[in-house]
Amino acid sequence: MTTTHGPALGIRARGLTKTFGSKTAVNGIDFAVEPGRVTGFLGPNGAGKSTTMRMILGLDAPTSGQVKVNGHHYASSPVPLREIGALLEAHAVHPGRSARDHLRWLAASNGIPTTRVGEVLELVGLDSVAGQRAGRFSLGMGQRLGIAAAMLGDPSVLVLDEPVNGLDPEGIRWVRTFARQLADEGRTVFVSSHLMTEMALMADHLIVIGQGTILADCSMQDFMADHARSFVRVKTGDVGAAAEILAANGLDVGRHHGASGPELHVQGLDAARIGELLGRHGVLLHELTLVSSSLEDAFMTLTADSVEYSAHGQARQEAGVR
Amino acid sequence: MSTLVHGRHQLAQPGFAAALHSERIKLTSIRSTWWTLASLLLIGVGGTVLLCALNAEWLASPEADEAPGSFITGGLMLSPVCAVILGTLAVSSEYGTGMMRSTLAATPVRGRVLVAKAVVVAAILFVVGTVTALLGYVGGNYFLDREGIGLALEGDVARSMYGYGLFMAGLGLLSVAVAFILRHTALALSLVLALVFVLNNLVLLIPGETGQWVTKLMPSNAGMVIATPVPFNPFLLDAWPSFGVFAAEVAALLLVAWAVLRRRDA
Repeated sequence: MTTTHGPALGIRARGLTKTFGSKTAVNGIDFAVEPGRVTGFLGPNGAGKSTTMRMILGLDAPTSGQVKVNGHHYASSPVPLREIGALLEAHAVHPGRSARDHLRWLAASNGIPTTRVGEVLELVGLDSVAGQRAGRFSLGMGQRLGIAAAMLGDPSVLVLDEPVNGLDPEGIRWVRTFARQLADEGRTVFVSSHLMTEMALMADHLIVIGQGTILADCSMQDFMADHARSFVRVKTGDVGAAAEILAANGLDVGRHHGASGPELHVQGLDAARIGELLGRHGVLLHELTLVSSSLEDAFMTLTADSVEYSAHGQARQEAGVR
Repeated sequence: MSTLVHGRHQLAQPGFAAALHSERIKLTSIRSTWWTLASLLLIGVGGTVLLCALNAEWLASPEADEAPGSFITGGLMLSPVCAVILGTLAVSSEYGTGMMRSTLAATPVRGRVLVAKAVVVAAILFVVGTVTALLGYVGGNYFLDREGIGLALEGDVARSMYGYGLFMAGLGLLSVAVAFILRHTALALSLVLALVFVLNNLVLLIPGETGQWVTKLMPSNAGMVIATPVPFNPFLLDAWPSFGVFAAEVAALLLVAWAVLRRRDA
């Protein structure tokens, strides 16, 4: 793709805030979505993801702050669909209108030639059902139609709100590959999801939002390194003695009650060395396992800290033990 | 997967014509539009022909106290429902499905969306309304002619033909405006139908001159005069002043719709 290189490509938000009555949906957030990579926008339902995306598209007006696309406000785009392709909600189509006609009115609104409609239908694999009424489409077909609509203007920025929602595994893989390809072509790809595992597979960069504030903004690797926790599970007949020995050696030891009795969660040393250390002190081991928490756990840990005060303790504990 | 980029065609900045084209595709690509327009035509033509056929003999007799001109656009009374449905759904169905967000993202200049919708709805209703009136005239006048009381297609009769188109277009615009303001199909439909069919008669109950004036100024009362060679209701204003009132009311509602569409989150 030929991309005009400018200083402000992508999406940039500064102090972006949106309140609905007394509720603050988005609370003064700053972030940048850079071209050439897939940026995941992660957060629990109601965290402010969709509101942020609507503000990017000029559909909701920010209460304060601003968000710019390729250096200007979206509403001042000369050809809006060339600037951003957006998938906001699946099934945001009239059920009585065919897929082709849905794309035709959208193309016409931006002066896009009708030949492009056939191209994007083929692109998402809907060409054989293009004449069918969209009301008969499955959720997966609806998502594909939404992505076809997003691609109509061959945009430099894609904003996809929960694109894998309701898709079957094949569809999810298709979206993942597609997002990857778009980023590789140099486009800005901004994908929201509440599915952590999906983000781990799709995104290069991660922006985590919880209760309207940014909790993390970093590369996927950094996120994993910073937030994913791993520990060694130790089971033994004499938990007390083992805990004392490990603590005496400067390790971080936690006592837990597992399914089969008490166990220790040890951080700071790998499993082999923990085994050797305890062996030297004559402690008989029943189990020695390295437990890595997934991105899902990392996300739970992160949002539990700042989102759900009432469930705070429980969420942390689950994240650590799982 | 096929290639993503088929060469970035150079695109001209889309203007009002693009929005108009887009709205025309929207309105003509769903079946309900055609059903609604067909109903308008059938009810309007059928109603007029039936009324003329049943009353021709009486109208020609000495005891008639109504003019044949009151009957030649008699189907007028029912087909406005169709104009209201068409105008309302053109807007509210987009809010119901969430499609309005796609529309406004594709055309961020929101006033353009409103004007394009209004023009398309008004144009199609004007054409179908006028054709309906003409077909009704042809069918109805056949029966009047047989009794020797046929009407020539000239003067007030001719004016009532395109007047019928203007009235339908105006009702469509009024519905478009209310649907933009309320953003909800059932709410908008019931409110407009009540205004057009119920309230316009209820206000007759207001005593004295106030009641007469309110009656004259109710949108559907004011709008229908231009569509009838001889009005049923003798208290109404003359055709063009009356239509002026109706047009001003529709314009005011469209202005309110434009203001809220610009200001509100989509």
